[in-house]
Amino acid sequence: MEICCQSIVENIMDYIDNELDDKTLNALEEHIHICPECKSFVDTYNKMLRMSGDLKNKKFVTPEIRERLKNLIKQKLKPN
Amino acid sequence: MLALRKLIQTMLIKCGNLYSYYKDEKLINIYLQQNDECAYEELVNRYLDRIFSLVYRIVKDVNVSEDVVQEIFLTLSEKLHTFKGNSSFSTWIYRVSTNAALMKLRTEKKHKYDYTLVDEKEYDENYYANMTYQATDSKYRPDLINYKKESFDLLEKSINNLSENYRVVIHLKDIEGMSIREISEILDISIQAVKSRIHRARLELKSILENQLFEWSK
Repeated sequence: MEICCQSIVENIMDYIDNELDDKTLNALEEHIHICPECKSFVDTYNKMLRMSGDLKNKKFVTPEIRERLKNLIKQKLKPN
Repeated sequence: MLALRKLIQTMLIKCGNLYSYYKDEKLINIYLQQNDECAYEELVNRYLDRIFSLVYRIVKDVNVSEDVVQEIFLTLSEKLHTFKGNSSFSTWIYRVSTNAALMKLRTEKKHKYDYTLVDEKEYDENYYANMTYQATDSKYRPDLINYKKESFDLLEKSINNLSENYRVVIHLKDIEGMSIREISEILDISIQAVKSRIHRARLELKSILENQLFEWSK
């Protein structure tokens, strides 16, 4: 199976998500092994995904924001 | 004995402990049937951080995000009965929130003749300066913590430079870690369209970050 650098770009998502069939996967990995540019592409792509995942830990809601929202809801739900 | 059990249950509910064990759908039923505001508060507590992050990713301004999030949760307290359970509540609230934030963004765009320029300026350095990241591998290395902080700031800035459709999928998939199917339900587009959008968004983000990513990967 012929794999070129463009195929790495096209298949990168399925490669990362482990959704390639064995034949394509083997051909892709062989190419990555011999092509430094594609190896670098995959490494940096993975690095970007790992760092993006770490952004999940970031908190935007301050105690003040939480308090303001809580008060608004309390006012709104207060029985007349 | 029954009275004691009831008393303990009431105390646990008042402290929010018992409700924190309930599934979303059960809380919704309690809120709708008993008009129990504690049940609604628990739902708000459960989703506030995640919905705020999503809205911020779309509108890119903390104050505007707060307005939108308040509107979402206030409206939701009236419209919760419209949740029919065809998808999970999580998917539903993400869908409602994404639409509300996109709507806000589009309304703002209409009022700004050159949104792109204003858009770029909305990144608030001071706000980020007070943010903390829980970087596990650099816990005891102040030099690495600073390096990590700068890297995350740059990543944030780069994500903010993507179009809103790309920011949403990067947020849902790469930051929140949702499945393609969930994202497809939230955005109401096909699985193939989600995959294609994520692919293009990642490549664009990667090209913005290219030189930096090479450094980070060393």
